[in-house]
Amino acid sequence: MKKAIALTLAAALSASLLAGCGGQSGQTSESTQSGSAQSTDAAETGIPAYNELTVGEDYTDLKADLKFISHRTDLIDDGTFDGYVAEFQKLYPNITISYEGITDYANDMTTRLTSNNWGDICMIPTTIPLPELGDYFYPMCDLSSIQDEYNFADNRAYDGKVYGIPSTGNAQGIVYNKAVFAAAGITELPTTPTEFLDDLQKIKDYDSSIIPLYTNYAAGWTMSAWDAYIGGGATGDADWMNITMPQTHDPFAKGVPTGDEQSGPYAVYNVLYEAVKRGLTEADPTTTDWEGSKPMMNNGEIATMVLGSWAIVQMQDAGEHADDIGYMPFPISVDGVQYASAGADYCYGINANSSDDNKIAAMLYIKWLSESSNFSYDQGGIPVLKSQEYPETLSAFDGIELVADTAAPTELADLASNVQRDAELTLNSDQTHVMRIVEAAINGDETLDDIVADWNAAWNDAVDRNAPQE
Amino acid sequence: MSNSTTSVKRRKSFGQWLKSMRGQQIVCTVTFLILPLLLLFTFTYLPFVKMVQFSFFDMRYIGRRVFVGLENYIDVFTRDDCFQALLLSLYYMAGSVVQMALALLFATILSFKVKGGKFFRGALYFPCLICGISVGFIFKFFFTHGFVLDTLLSWVGFNIDTLPYWLRDESINNIVLVGCSIWKYVGQNIVMFIGAIASVDSTLYEAADIDGANAWHRFKDIILPSIRTIVVLNLIISVSGALSAFEMPYVVTGGGFGTSTYFVIMDKLAHTDQKVGLASAMAVVLLVLIMIVTYIQKGVERWLNKRDERTPKALVSTDPNTAAQAASASPAKAN
Repeated sequence: MKKAIALTLAAALSASLLAGCGGQSGQTSESTQSGSAQSTDAAETGIPAYNELTVGEDYTDLKADLKFISHRTDLIDDGTFDGYVAEFQKLYPNITISYEGITDYANDMTTRLTSNNWGDICMIPTTIPLPELGDYFYPMCDLSSIQDEYNFADNRAYDGKVYGIPSTGNAQGIVYNKAVFAAAGITELPTTPTEFLDDLQKIKDYDSSIIPLYTNYAAGWTMSAWDAYIGGGATGDADWMNITMPQTHDPFAKGVPTGDEQSGPYAVYNVLYEAVKRGLTEADPTTTDWEGSKPMMNNGEIATMVLGSWAIVQMQDAGEHADDIGYMPFPISVDGVQYASAGADYCYGINANSSDDNKIAAMLYIKWLSESSNFSYDQGGIPVLKSQEYPETLSAFDGIELVADTAAPTELADLASNVQRDAELTLNSDQTHVMRIVEAAINGDETLDDIVADWNAAWNDAVDRNAPQE
Repeated sequence: MSNSTTSVKRRKSFGQWLKSMRGQQIVCTVTFLILPLLLLFTFTYLPFVKMVQFSFFDMRYIGRRVFVGLENYIDVFTRDDCFQALLLSLYYMAGSVVQMALALLFATILSFKVKGGKFFRGALYFPCLICGISVGFIFKFFFTHGFVLDTLLSWVGFNIDTLPYWLRDESINNIVLVGCSIWKYVGQNIVMFIGAIASVDSTLYEAADIDGANAWHRFKDIILPSIRTIVVLNLIISVSGALSAFEMPYVVTGGGFGTSTYFVIMDKLAHTDQKVGLASAMAVVLLVLIMIVTYIQKGVERWLNKRDERTPKALVSTDPNTAAQAASASPAKAN
């Protein structure tokens, strides 16, 4: 009898094994098939391109149920998105849209994309390399057809096709408390790292209970925010971040690539290192609290935080002193000109496996969101359309040259992310390397030059491994 | 009856066999086993096999995979951060010994009649019920400079300005984290030990009392030998837990200031750098390490057993029957 049981079990297990393998291989071949089928027949089936659609006139009787996955859990919870849907349904009463929010967005969404039926619209995670966009997302139109009207249209584009429409744009600067600056006697915004550090010192001298620069070290992602400043803002070169840097040896060294110690990636990280070392940041970074820091900023207990322009609204809403919150460009000038990085926030993408009706409905909704919903302005971001106006909070950026990092050309599309991953310096998404700066400055066991030497070594290796074949 | 069944057995059809006692037994066994085994296979063995397979590839979650042979394993052994991180496990191993000792102490005390015993059992087990993430937040506030702990210490006469930054100071932050870890997990051990101690024959205590044994003797010569199996089991679990410590450093410090354990590094490599192959290799290496440690512990246990058998035994614990009984009864109790 034991033998019989053993045999049946073995049979059952091997059957399930076969079933598992069979199912899997079937699935993958199916998905690749449908993927390639989608990209080839998209042009032939009757789906109009994104730019050809007129919201409010075309397809007004279209019926579709859309599922929209978003990272803005706050806007889902407070009903902002429901409001948009209600507005949109005045034009398209038969299209229903249900939102789903994910907190750990980039990670979770990357995993979910591997199944075909995750929904219809999502914010394209930046973890998907540009050449693979076509496997997951529907190409909405040609880049050339919307490039003149849209800011950052090329952000999620590959091979001349647009896979993602930017939801809003961010400028990279520093959130600061105007009242604290005024009280400490700072009348002009700093334009170089030295001036900025001097100003922080002035604030500390004025009232030592105010934290001049709050790092938000413990939150983690707030540390990786520093990487957003080493691109166009620190170099004035739009090609630096995605094209030049992944092919440059020693990009983190002092004075690279501008030849001036007061600019370039090194200068950005040096601001952090020096600020921590001179005691201009909070005493114990390990116990910082992101939610708690917002009201502190609002009340003037914190003078500055280095965060993208999306943070302005959150700081204003955190207390009664919304008027005190200001936003200034990062204090770096290249040859006397101050630049600021600007770029697209998450872009809307449409599932390549959705039905034709859903694709059309999804494009209509995205177009409505971008052009008629005022979403970008309400969020204090750089407008999506070139014709829309800038929100007031970004007024300090008047006269500052905005640099949007150019996307790499097709053949180098995934070079930057490959180099960063191989070097284990995933800029903008991993915080360990920036945390190391804070730790070194507090412990005093490493200088910034030591750290940068390590990074450069790893980076140079990765550059050589990924060097494009001529 | 047996005669008649054996005589018809040869001519029995499948349908008849199915209805027979034996057939029913087998059908029941198979149908009941198939589901758990299927689940075990799909969610444990299949992913594991996949992981081992991944460890030989240079790959990301999505995209092309390149077979690289043993390169990932060589990387694990040559990188400085991986094995440096294992040194941190020594803190957690030392912590697990302290944890065992504390658990034994509390379990022994609570096994006898104590005032408020039930309350203390509950109180000591309570931390196990709190989700790890909230424990992390609790301790972040607890250790914030000038907050809970510092205030408490200042009442006892410490000067707040001279107190260290508990989570920032690299000479103590790992000890602090191990402390948090002990606080969270000690309750689990206590409950298991109380269960094991309850199975010890109470006549042994009476006999020992007559022989004039004090509390320490009772513990050393009756309780400890009787529950040795369960102690060793817990020790193995704690030590492998120490090697794979993750929760506390990840939630409380985010791996900063020299608290990044093997698991935290693995998480970063797998998820932000997407070096899935390398991270899988690290996981396999860790598995092998844990197996080695477990075998060493098993070996030591066997050696101790043999030595006990050879040497003449002292006091009551020497009765092999009761010891074996208690030991075999204890796991069931503990569960």
